Amino acid sequence: MKKQKQHIYLLSPLFTYFTIFFFAPLFILFIYSFWRTTSTGLVPTFTMHNYLYIFSKKLYPIIILKSVRIGFITAVICVLLSYPVAYSLTFKYRRMQDFVLYLILISLFSSYLVRVYAWKTILGHNGLINQLLKYIGIIDEPLSFLLYSPTAVVITLVFIFIPFTILPIFSSLQNISVDYIEAARDLGANTAKTFYKITLPLSMPGVITGFIFSFVLAAGDYVTPQMVGGTEGLMIGRIVQDQFGLTYNWPFGSALAYFTIFLLVVLINLFIWITRMLKLRR
Amino acid sequence: MMLETAKALIIRNICKNFGIVCAVKNMTLEVQDGEFISLLGPSGCGKTTLLRIIAGFETPDSGEVIIDGINILDLPPNKRPMNMVFQRYALFPHMTVFENVAFSQFLLKRPKSEINQKVKRMLELVQLEGFESRKPDQLSGGQCQRIALARALINEPSVLLLDEPLGALDLKIRKQMQIELKKIQEKLGITFIYVTHDQEEALVMSDQIVLMQAGESIQVDTPKRIYNHPNSKFSATFIGESNLFEGAVAAVHSDHIEVLVGGVAVLVGKTGGVARGDKVSLAIRLERVKRADRGQKKDFENLLTGTVEDVVFFGFMVKYYVRVNDELLIIAEEEIAKDEQEEDTPIGGKMTVGFSIKDVNLFVERVHSDTL
Repeated sequence: MKKQKQHIYLLSPLFTYFTIFFFAPLFILFIYSFWRTTSTGLVPTFTMHNYLYIFSKKLYPIIILKSVRIGFITAVICVLLSYPVAYSLTFKYRRMQDFVLYLILISLFSSYLVRVYAWKTILGHNGLINQLLKYIGIIDEPLSFLLYSPTAVVITLVFIFIPFTILPIFSSLQNISVDYIEAARDLGANTAKTFYKITLPLSMPGVITGFIFSFVLAAGDYVTPQMVGGTEGLMIGRIVQDQFGLTYNWPFGSALAYFTIFLLVVLINLFIWITRMLKLRR
Repeated sequence: MMLETAKALIIRNICKNFGIVCAVKNMTLEVQDGEFISLLGPSGCGKTTLLRIIAGFETPDSGEVIIDGINILDLPPNKRPMNMVFQRYALFPHMTVFENVAFSQFLLKRPKSEINQKVKRMLELVQLEGFESRKPDQLSGGQCQRIALARALINEPSVLLLDEPLGALDLKIRKQMQIELKKIQEKLGITFIYVTHDQEEALVMSDQIVLMQAGESIQVDTPKRIYNHPNSKFSATFIGESNLFEGAVAAVHSDHIEVLVGGVAVLVGKTGGVARGDKVSLAIRLERVKRADRGQKKDFENLLTGTVEDVVFFGFMVKYYVRVNDELLIIAEEEIAKDEQEEDTPIGGKMTVGFSIKDVNLFVERVHSDTL
């Protein structure tokens, strides 16, 4: 009993910090989502009006779904790109582990905004890619869909969030004892079967963590869409921001935010359930 | 009719280097069908490397591994007719006991009813019926190793490889499992190749012991022969406990040899190839050296008298450390009779111990230059 109490003392500073600066504001936001706004200001009440209003116009559900779609595509690409890297670093190129992980971390050292700006110059009308394609002679006119499009948003978000998928997948692969792989080979499994039956299921916790990280972060991102997304690449984060900054409709902004959070939680659980049904997870 | 060779496995001239370290040095070995053979040696002697070469996890630099007349070195591990039991069990943590044991059968796409039957039989064999739905983390170490054994045996391999399978278990379970493993092996008649660094384990279980040191086999023999007739100083000291003396041959007689050890003459049975002046080592098992001063003096050819330096009590027997002179300390091992009186030879007292001429094993260290 005494030992458990000591643990609570150790946890309390962070817990206090989170309570004051995270849980409390989040709770206040939740309360707001049931209030109303009038010309004179916020009116404390209890109404579902804000939630219902989301579905009154096509715009909001479409943008929410679009954000989820971009988040999903980003997460899938991140996982598909990360897995081979983490796998080969673990089983084939052990010596390069530290070096490559260092390179991945370096990309996190530079500012988020700087990296988005960098992509803006790479993808732009007179950017690196268009210049290069023109120089080689593949195109005559610069490709316009490169910048200010959902594609540009996905490309940029994949670059920004890929460390968040590589690292958890890498660490879960590191925990797989070579004994398991050798045992599977010894019992008659070829390389492909060993991967599908042993390595992949045992690394699934890392895949799921990485997927959720990149999915949630990408779906909720609002800087990248603004800078490289254009009108087509508009995402929900921007709409929520506008409710607070532009129209001063805090209750509706809160409702939009909470609805999006709710949707993401449902989708994440659905994803976990599917991987379990496929028997890919322990 | 084909000649019955009954060789389960032939290893021929296997060499394996890791960088500049030579792990296995020109190893040749023939394993009989249905034999329990142990690869015994200190850590780093190459026994595990040899086992992993047989299993297919290491590729040797040269040599052959032959089963049924076919060199299997080009086959990947999953195509080899053998299975392995790992030291750390290596049970798949995301699968139940049933799924673990049935793993190889699922891969072979056997019918479900047949798999169920086989798994049931295997779990009966290792005495863990009813554990099908447990996960490996719900099992004790001993149970894990039984499941790993069942998983490796279900495919009826012609050879089972075991890499220190009892090394991670505690002493009591280890002793129990030794007997059980031996029973299972005898029941199934499968060839076992068993890697261990525990000489007692090897003595208890094996039909043949391959004693290895620095990548080479030192002696291949039955446990009895390897214990009673070690062919080298290493064999004599690694298996069992021996008094080890270094000396020089003082005289060669018609029926015995006289060796001078620390100024004392020791008589040794006649062996060929020994000449006066040769440097030799003598090894005498502790239990072959007995007290010879209490009336039960047997017809020992060698009698040594000295001061008792230490007396160590082991329950069923006692060890006397007798100092004959500055250079010569001999240890005698005496069983304790049921109703023996309190120790009558205190430390510091005189004691005479003796041993027979035929219990001395002689190894030539260096041939004297005069004889060359």
